[in-house]
Amino acid sequence: MMVTRDTARRTIRRGLILSGLALAGLVAVYVMALRYTPVERLQGPAQKIFYIHAPAAWAALMAFAIVGLVSILYLWLRDTRLDHFAAASAEVGLAFSVVMLTTGPLWGKPIWGTWWTWDARLTLTLFLFFLFLGYLTLRTALNDPAERARFSAVVGILGMLLVPFVHLSVYLFRTLHPQPVLLKPSAPSMPPEMLRTLLTSVAVFTVLYLGFTLTRYGIALLGEAEESRDAG
Amino acid sequence: MQASPPDNAGYMIVAYLVTAVIVVGYAWSLWVRSKR
Repeated sequence: MMVTRDTARRTIRRGLILSGLALAGLVAVYVMALRYTPVERLQGPAQKIFYIHAPAAWAALMAFAIVGLVSILYLWLRDTRLDHFAAASAEVGLAFSVVMLTTGPLWGKPIWGTWWTWDARLTLTLFLFFLFLGYLTLRTALNDPAERARFSAVVGILGMLLVPFVHLSVYLFRTLHPQPVLLKPSAPSMPPEMLRTLLTSVAVFTVLYLGFTLTRYGIALLGEAEESRDAG
Repeated sequence: MQASPPDNAGYMIVAYLVTAVIVVGYAWSLWVRSKR
């Protein structure tokens, strides 16, 4: 399917608007978390890292799961737009992974007494990060667009298969990492004011994901439209 | 007597700053790439 420059530009514009709104939302999350949410008695102010660490982890895992789902659709339909969307989602997922992998140790050091421990949750998360780093590296190494899309779709699907293991690792293995307080069968286990801040942050990070991915996807569409124009 | 929370605000401040740098930095990189 041919993509026009106008369609690509429109997609980029929508993505940037959504990203701008989400960045304003992130400022609101900072104010809520730092100013209005109470300090946890046992963990102290460091517990507030939770309000950015958990939503960043949510956004990263969602991004990687979407890469896999969109990759399955690509292998079925062979529409290059799906390949571009999967690549955009992977790049944005990596950005959120960097947030998750830096804020995690900053929370772990004062609470666990160590920056890092090789337990199941942390190790699997690091593997997932490297896997999608490999996904993007693979894309830069292949010149043929059809070959690039096919190979990276397979890697994307394999990466998606790791996502449930990351989420369930706290149940499957003995781990230092706390169990989920939100994504679990029973009701959320935290005071209402903390839950409100967490849910707001999850919503903001979800919109950030959408805005960033749409922008990155539009940039890829624009590149393709310009290549087609040059070739024509 | 109830113990007061530990004083570890430094870790929290660094985490929030690092997050802002990564998120705003990535948004800026997208903005620059979209203008090329």
